[in-house]
Amino acid sequence: MQRPDWAPDTIDIERPSVARMYDYYLGGSHNFAADRAAARAMVEAVPEAPLMAQANRAFLRRAVQFLAESGVRQFLDIGSGIPTVGNVHEIAQRIDPECRVLYVDVDPVAVAHSQEILAGNDRATVVQEDLRRPAAILQHPEVTKLLDFSQPVAVMIVAVLHFIPDADRPEEILRTLRAALAPGSYLVMSQASDDDRGETGERAEAERVYRRTDNQLFIRSRAELTALFDGFELVDPGVVWVPQWRPESPEQAEDAAKAVFIGGVGRLGG
Amino acid sequence: MGKSAGSARSCPGTFARAWAKAVSGTSYLPMTQAQLEALLQRLTERLAVAIQSEPFDLRIGHQVGAELVQAHIASAEGLGRTIEVIQLRLVRDLGLVADDVEDRMARLLATVATGYARALRDRTLDEQESIRRAAMMARAQAERALRESEARFRHQATHDPLTDLPNRTLFTERLAAALDTADRIGVCFIDLDRFKVVNDSLGHQIGDLLLVSVAQRLRRALGEHLVARLGGDEFVILVERTAGTDDVVEVAEAALAAVSEPALVDGHELTVSASIGIVERPAAGTSPMELMRAADSTLHWAKAAGGARWSIFDADRNRQELARYALSAAIPAALDRGEFYLDYQPLTALRDGRVLGMEALVRWRHPELGVLRPDSFIGLAEETGLIVRLGAWVLAEACREARTWADESGDGPFVSVNLAVQQVRRPGLVDEVRDLLRRTGLPPGRLQLEITESTMMSTAEEPVRALRVLADLGVRIAIDDFGTGYCNLAYLRGLPVTELKVAGEFVAGLRAPAGRTDERILASLVSLAHALKVTVTAEGVETAEQAERLRAIGCDAAQGWHFGRPGPAAQHLGRSPALTATG
Repeated sequence: MQRPDWAPDTIDIERPSVARMYDYYLGGSHNFAADRAAARAMVEAVPEAPLMAQANRAFLRRAVQFLAESGVRQFLDIGSGIPTVGNVHEIAQRIDPECRVLYVDVDPVAVAHSQEILAGNDRATVVQEDLRRPAAILQHPEVTKLLDFSQPVAVMIVAVLHFIPDADRPEEILRTLRAALAPGSYLVMSQASDDDRGETGERAEAERVYRRTDNQLFIRSRAELTALFDGFELVDPGVVWVPQWRPESPEQAEDAAKAVFIGGVGRLGG
Repeated sequence: MGKSAGSARSCPGTFARAWAKAVSGTSYLPMTQAQLEALLQRLTERLAVAIQSEPFDLRIGHQVGAELVQAHIASAEGLGRTIEVIQLRLVRDLGLVADDVEDRMARLLATVATGYARALRDRTLDEQESIRRAAMMARAQAERALRESEARFRHQATHDPLTDLPNRTLFTERLAAALDTADRIGVCFIDLDRFKVVNDSLGHQIGDLLLVSVAQRLRRALGEHLVARLGGDEFVILVERTAGTDDVVEVAEAALAAVSEPALVDGHELTVSASIGIVERPAAGTSPMELMRAADSTLHWAKAAGGARWSIFDADRNRQELARYALSAAIPAALDRGEFYLDYQPLTALRDGRVLGMEALVRWRHPELGVLRPDSFIGLAEETGLIVRLGAWVLAEACREARTWADESGDGPFVSVNLAVQQVRRPGLVDEVRDLLRRTGLPPGRLQLEITESTMMSTAEEPVRALRVLADLGVRIAIDDFGTGYCNLAYLRGLPVTELKVAGEFVAGLRAPAGRTDERILASLVSLAHALKVTVTAEGVETAEQAERLRAIGCDAAQGWHFGRPGPAAQHLGRSPALTATG
């Protein structure tokens, strides 16, 4: 496929995209050959990769369910990726059709796909922005049109932070987002971690695979992710391996460390 | 078969739960365990119906397979485990009984697998199509965004952000393009008159609003012609395909009218005028740069003539100005290369013909233009400020040469040097002169500084004090060209003046029959000056008759061709040919 000169790299379908790799792990077909090749290399390096994606997706579902049942009606999902199965708006709007969901992703293909999926749903929309530009997200006209920041909003940063290096000052990104939120708002975060795993070869291999994408991998410890919840009050059970976060059955929480992802939900008091 | 579903319903959960456990983890299931079990319970009941129905219904197995895929139990492992759990447990867990149960089971599994594979294939194809469409959409959006940003960037690069008029870049482009296609072309350079006053008195914000208003008016009045803003309060109009100057004059008149309409800007009613420089010429043989430059200098003629008007480019005038400009720009290098030198003209005592002093007159030995007299470059040097450097050189050179004029007794004529107003106003003048006298050893009394009447009149207190210090040192101070200006003798009282040099105009009058009046004026001037202890030198004395009359009046000294033309100092030292000749 001949790529025109003007095409930004992110629309180069011969470059793997983390959003489409994630879709592949979840069993979707919203991906191209390059995505599948990279995802398969990842599975070779880290055989649990599909399991990780599933566990993380299940965490997202349980977290949204928890938030909707706690009364949150507005969701800002940053780094939403390809809207495949079990999206935030599906989960939240099943509980209350009034729920409003704003998806943000930096990947233009993921955004275009989301636009198609969300066409006709006037309580869910998508904008193309970068988590590293939180002020631009908060000031985006679509965002201010759909979300009312004087009311609680749940900010979801799920399976995204490991693409943000410390050099991009994640703590400042979160501070900016937090400053925009009303009391009673929530923050949901998960990211890849190697706490208690110690298999450094595996980590290095995973990082190597992701260097082929536009996004490098930056692993964080539980303490580091907990620190990023600064200003929020962690709801039980705090930052844990994602299968351990409010599992629906005890079996679900077995072998939790295999999920590689740690995550938690914090509430903004006030 | 024939067993009612009742017995199946007696333990519905066992099989469904086993099934749910089997497929858990084979793919991401966007539902809770309870929801999954409820779904699979419903499908279990369909399977139970299928395995018992007579005749065997293929569609039920197909539907169950499709529903599994729809519910995202859609992985290869999900199918494998489903087949395994149905084969192993369905009949047993549901207590189903049939003679041909193995046969029926095989057919049921086949239909479930078929329905599953079909649905999964369709889903895969749909998803592939959907992601490809998304990629195409994203690409189209990116392309559009790029085009828009390019257009925006292009607009920003070619327009003035304040008025949104085309800027210099776009104007130059359009001008170049027009030069290629038109026979004749015209340009109007517009500059608002005294715009700075608006900015200074009302602030830049009002100034900017006024510019926006002027831009709008120009665009409205001259819509068919390209109006651009070059920066500041400068605008320019391109008049393409002109037949002659009149076409551009018409545009300039319209522009002047548009600019001078009163404008209400933020509550202030402002009326501004403009000056316009017009150039209109054949397109062949000219360049955008040349046209812009010509229009710009023409604009300055309109400004110099008082503004609120247009001027038309005049090639001769432009050439002269360029030559003048080139000459003034060459002065510093000429000083470095020593191209300047001094000639002297004697100031001769009318009583005895003795050379009292000599006026230093600067000459420029220009490598291409030959020897230039001061009137061709001093004015320029004064305009550009270069006079300070040039004047300092003249003063130093004059002192150095004058030192050599002394005779055996150490006495000799003084040297008279012209000082420009900028030199007089310089704070360092006293030190400069004092230092020069010390370095050259020239007695202060042998240096005379000539200052014009207008310099004297326009000089503030500080420079007067400097002149007084110099006078106290013994330096002679002369008023040059006396009589051409204000002619006020009164101020001489307060000034340390030692000599008046009466302008040549009065002396010229001595020749004519009407010269009696001039003679009387001169006579009273001399007696008044003498009353103030100021000597009088007459300039421009060309004939013996004039010299005689001046002597009769009591004038102290004279200068002019009659007494000696400007030349090297040696030419005048030790002789007084004119006076000798007249007797």
